[in-house]
Amino acid sequence: MKFALFLGCNIPVRVQHYELSARAVLDKLSIEVVDNSEFKCCGYPIRNTDQKTSVLMAARNLALSEKQGLDMMALCMCCFGSLKKAAHLMKHNPSMQEEVNAQLSKEGLRYTGNFGVKHFLSVLYHDIGINVLKEKATKAFKGIKIATHYGCHALRPSDVTEFDDPVAPVLFDELVSATGAHSIDWPLKLECCGAPLLGVNDSLSMDLTEKKLVDAKRFGADYLCVACPYCQMQFGRVQQMMAFQRNIDIGPLSILFPQLLGLAMGIRGNALGMDRHVLDVSRIESFLE
Amino acid sequence: MVYNVVLYVALAVFGVGLMYKISGWFRFSIGIAAQNMTISARIPAVLKGLLVVIFSQKLLTLIRVFVMDVLFQIRILEKDKLRWVMHMLIFAGFIFLLFTHALDKIIITSLFDKYYLKLNPYLFFAGFMVLSGLAIAVYRRFILKVPRLKTKAMDLYVIILLAVIILSGFALEFTKLASFNHYQKIWYVHILTCLTGLAYLPFSKMFHMFTTPASLLANAVMNQNSNPANVMTRRVMELDACTHCGTCSRHCSVAIAYDSIGNKHILPSERMVFLKDYIAHKRMTARGLAAICQGIYLCTNCDRCTVNCPAGINLRDLWFNVREEMIGRGHAVPLMLTPFSFYRGLHQQELDPDQYDNPLNKAQKALAGHFERLNKIEEVIPLTSANREFKKSAGLSLRAGTYAYCFTCENCSTVCPVVGNYENPQQHLDLLPHQIIRSLGFGLLDLAMGSRMLWYCLTCYQCQEHCPQGVKVTDIFYELKNLAVKEADRSIK
Repeated sequence: MKFALFLGCNIPVRVQHYELSARAVLDKLSIEVVDNSEFKCCGYPIRNTDQKTSVLMAARNLALSEKQGLDMMALCMCCFGSLKKAAHLMKHNPSMQEEVNAQLSKEGLRYTGNFGVKHFLSVLYHDIGINVLKEKATKAFKGIKIATHYGCHALRPSDVTEFDDPVAPVLFDELVSATGAHSIDWPLKLECCGAPLLGVNDSLSMDLTEKKLVDAKRFGADYLCVACPYCQMQFGRVQQMMAFQRNIDIGPLSILFPQLLGLAMGIRGNALGMDRHVLDVSRIESFLE
Repeated sequence: MVYNVVLYVALAVFGVGLMYKISGWFRFSIGIAAQNMTISARIPAVLKGLLVVIFSQKLLTLIRVFVMDVLFQIRILEKDKLRWVMHMLIFAGFIFLLFTHALDKIIITSLFDKYYLKLNPYLFFAGFMVLSGLAIAVYRRFILKVPRLKTKAMDLYVIILLAVIILSGFALEFTKLASFNHYQKIWYVHILTCLTGLAYLPFSKMFHMFTTPASLLANAVMNQNSNPANVMTRRVMELDACTHCGTCSRHCSVAIAYDSIGNKHILPSERMVFLKDYIAHKRMTARGLAAICQGIYLCTNCDRCTVNCPAGINLRDLWFNVREEMIGRGHAVPLMLTPFSFYRGLHQQELDPDQYDNPLNKAQKALAGHFERLNKIEEVIPLTSANREFKKSAGLSLRAGTYAYCFTCENCSTVCPVVGNYENPQQHLDLLPHQIIRSLGFGLLDLAMGSRMLWYCLTCYQCQEHCPQGVKVTDIFYELKNLAVKEADRSIK
């Protein structure tokens, strides 16, 4: 299995541990990823003000992975959502696709829609399968409660992202369970982390983050688990900022899913970037069998 | 006689130009934290910094960077081999000619006797090196057409100047024996272009032969804890270190947005050109300010420009600081109400808390400001005057047309986490999601576009997912935001 790896803008500079751990896990699962230094912004942040440009940006990346003859795998859920959205819009609006292609042709690129985009979690779930993951998780977790945070842009709009059932998803919970951890039920599981409004309306953004943290804690979570750099930064660096600004206790802390899985597969913490968290989560390793 | 006069004039212009440019590094400021940094504080700070570095282990770093990055230009080699070949040909050829030919009387003849005879073939060889380098430069800019590599007059002048110097030099050597008349004429052309080049050097991109090494060396030994006065001086000096090579724009994550928006300030290399000009007088028109604000805010802070800059310019720091200066000048920047603000939010502790919210509020007002009806809650809205044309199109897509299916069950507003966050949501959001959708149904476009709800929407898609009628609520919000920004753009004079 081979994918073009789409990292986006945040992971290589601010959430490197996501990349490190994802690569380590994918390597152990014999999934080959190909890098493309020409991949650029996915178009997500500009959609608020200029959808046309957003689609062009997404389409350029899609066209590049088509040129490589590969499906794309995105680690960031916002990137994934943006790429899927653009593909969906162009599929249902051929004239938009033509317009985009006219722009792309200047760089010798063309988007046809013959290759797909998948999120990292989908690849693990659908292409590897829970049973294989369970087999590989030789050093599984025990007695740990994880509040699984789905993240919005992979899950919804479900007709576009085709990720999982938008109201009662199981994909991420099952993946977490495969590591031996217990994925808890908690009311705000499917809610937004608050990141899209950071820098726009900080108090609102932090209110939403705080609510999620309180809710996860109330339902007994030891840790949060995410699979998106924005969510991770929100529950990491922003949580740290909130603790200072709002005078609240820190916790629960958030771990990236490939780290959770990697630890369960017996990969060393450092190889998974466990030392790169703003808020130290290394104590999670004490839950390993 | 004439030769001497021209030589000394050229030397004087060069010297004064050099002093003028260098003094600029201390006279000018850019970005936030620009206050309280006088020339009298900045010059001693640089000297002190230099001394500290020279008498520390960092000296080894400087030597390594000088050899690897300045002499062998490894940073260019890693990124683009053709460019490295081009630059090395010009650089090595030029340096060779400078020391063995232009300055021959001073350097070489004092070392060797009869060196002219020995050196002639080498002279030609070095000339060919420079010419081939220039040919590659022309090829890259005009034939290969590297995407988004822009050519400005200043880029062209340098290529022409160097070409004339070398070609006239060749001609001179060939005519040496053949014709004294021609020889003299060509000699004048050759000498005059050389001296023009010398006088023009501090004001041209050729100045980078001093500033780029300075930038590479400074950034190798400076970090976040460096004296802010030195950071400021470096930041200004780096503007001179930029050669407009376009590497940043080629690696920029959002550069392709330039193709669809057409604002050249989206490209980092073009922003550098703007800043070089801006820094001395700090004046610009409202349109110009709007364009630079859009360009500089349309940035995902991916760091690629900084990582790839062959001159080692700390663009990350430059953008962060200049951006604050620009958005603080009072023009509303719609992009501030998008995830492009995430990085600013993440780094808010580095910013003045009193200035942090102002530009955000301004953007908010500019986008909601001219939607009058929203400010007159008590007014009864006559439905008959509704804009029926808008219902048909108004630039909304088919997907957006789904608003017509709304039967006001309010599910969207019920599941919205933003609405749920407030005791009295209307006070914070103006209209709730279902009200925005209903406004569309009535054709009340300004009402639909004017509410803060649109800009405080997380785009989490809960509303859209939960709508029993299949109204694409979040997608409609996106389109309304797009329209509102277009409206606001139109109002800039």
